[in-house]
Amino acid sequence: MTGTQLEIQLIAAIVAIACAIPGVFLVLRKMALISDAISHSILPGIVIGFFLTEDLNSPWLILLAAVTGVITVVLVEAIQKTGLVKEDTAIGLVFPALFSIGVILIAQKANDVHLDTDAVLLGDLTFASFDRISLGDIDLGPKSLWVMGIILSITIGLLVSFFKELKVSTFDAGLSSALGFSPVVLHYGLMSVSSVTVVGAFDAVGAVLVVALMIAPAATAYLLTSDLKKMIGLSILFGVSAAIIGYWMAHLLDASISGSMTTVLGVIFLMVYLFAPDKGLIAVMYRQKQQRTEVSLLTFLLHLNNHTEESERHINHLNEHINWQRVRSQTVLDLAQKNNMITITDSIVELTSKGKEFTDLALEYIITNKDEKIEHMKDDFFLFRG
Amino acid sequence: MKKIAIRVDDLTVAYNYKPVLWDIDLTVPEGVLMAIVGPNGAGKSTLIKAILGIIDPIAGSVSIYDKPYSKQRKLVAYVPQKGSVDWDFPTTALDVVMMGTYGQLGWIKRPGQKEKKASLEALEKVGMLPFKNRQISQLSGGQQQRVFLARALVQNASIYFMDEPFQGVDATTEIAIINILKELRKAGKTVIVVHHDLQTVPEYFDWVTFLNVKKIATGPVKDIFNDDNLTKTYGINYKVAVNQ
Repeated sequence: MTGTQLEIQLIAAIVAIACAIPGVFLVLRKMALISDAISHSILPGIVIGFFLTEDLNSPWLILLAAVTGVITVVLVEAIQKTGLVKEDTAIGLVFPALFSIGVILIAQKANDVHLDTDAVLLGDLTFASFDRISLGDIDLGPKSLWVMGIILSITIGLLVSFFKELKVSTFDAGLSSALGFSPVVLHYGLMSVSSVTVVGAFDAVGAVLVVALMIAPAATAYLLTSDLKKMIGLSILFGVSAAIIGYWMAHLLDASISGSMTTVLGVIFLMVYLFAPDKGLIAVMYRQKQQRTEVSLLTFLLHLNNHTEESERHINHLNEHINWQRVRSQTVLDLAQKNNMITITDSIVELTSKGKEFTDLALEYIITNKDEKIEHMKDDFFLFRG
Repeated sequence: MKKIAIRVDDLTVAYNYKPVLWDIDLTVPEGVLMAIVGPNGAGKSTLIKAILGIIDPIAGSVSIYDKPYSKQRKLVAYVPQKGSVDWDFPTTALDVVMMGTYGQLGWIKRPGQKEKKASLEALEKVGMLPFKNRQISQLSGGQQQRVFLARALVQNASIYFMDEPFQGVDATTEIAIINILKELRKAGKTVIVVHHDLQTVPEYFDWVTFLNVKKIATGPVKDIFNDDNLTKTYGINYKVAVNQ
């Protein structure tokens, strides 16, 4: 690995972390689309800033563009407040308008400089390490590393200082306001940080993909944890993993680095969406199937409890009378047998004493509406789950 | 004469220039357990939010023990409607209660052992200690309401505002909550509750405010909780079975 490669990965990782942190709060505030709006509408700010400073990494350009980002939020909220359109419509109205101004400005004035529409949309990390800062003869490293490093340090500093305020205002804006932590101040603080981060990351990953870096890690982490601090930690982990893996994928495929990073993020999300232990698709489906079987078992046991006559307790009767498919009745029978709740002699099913006890308790809880207790009772009785 | 805990003068609140609360004058003496009743859209929640500065009135003023609310925040605890927050938020019951301590801490300072201990005690008081590490979406509606109540208790305030604390809770929780509110009153606190169930007003509360955009009446339940005021507030001849 060469020094340049290492530097690019370092920049990518820092961009990923800087995006992941505000991303967590945007996702929790159901404002994911706002990051999309900001990332597009800062374009005119960047272009105008570029005309004035002629330097894509100038702090003035970053501040100017970030102000455009905050203006976007103000405009969206102003339109929304009229009550004539909903928030998503307001977002859809504001950012294309600002973005198109930026596109026209580029086409008109910036044709001969390093600021073209491709770079704006997708960014370019490959050349990030060529633009360097030096002090006299000493090389201090790539400029964008410094810019993003400073933005990240500020973000982390603000996060650590105002973590509790951000948490309470995100969870319960009313309480936050009553306690004296103005939700408006915190909201615009978060919007400013997001805007600055987007502008800083823009050069590296472009307007479209910066959204993925903000939203995807947080959305993935959300599926895995119910602790805000862990959610932030996991988001950072996913962002950095995607940055490193994405870099090497791009290297292998000779493809765009930002594109590969985003693809990796998508794959990580898909994996977690499928396999997350609690909220994942497969876990949910498994739980539903298990619950279905357990409800069937309960129905079956109650039926046995109600009928002493042998004709009602014949195995074939399950298929006919209770109207289950053969596979399902087999599953239910197996489950009941495994848990020693029934015995089968000559195809006649009989409740064991354990089965009887279980059924009586269940009946009592059903009558008294104590659904939670049934769940507990299942845990006590079942050695094997369906 | 008892001290005045809350004084509201000429308060008017409007959404999009339509008044939701109109020229409200209200004084609440210290140490009462007061219900705010009125039909849907009467501005009950809005009144609380305006007193707490969560929404800005277009006219009028509010004072808590003779000073503006912004100077008296630490004397006041607030329980918003349960439906006003996202219960899927990644946090635990204990953590939600800890949020009640944030006001005393102020900006930047973080909660420590002292705040944690107080929060655990508050959870204990509402019978939710066994659920302290439970993710809040895993709690039932009644349990969520208890957590909110614990969060208000931990604020250790003089005045408690509660927005429909009995909404969507079972009978056991309702009794548990009202017992805690009565205990608060006994300790000399002032408790203001937005309430929907007129049947229970005489049983639960000693003070009541009738509200329907304007203030209809306010005073001791035994003096003013009558058909006349109910009819003025609800617009129909409202007969209630008063359990007294």
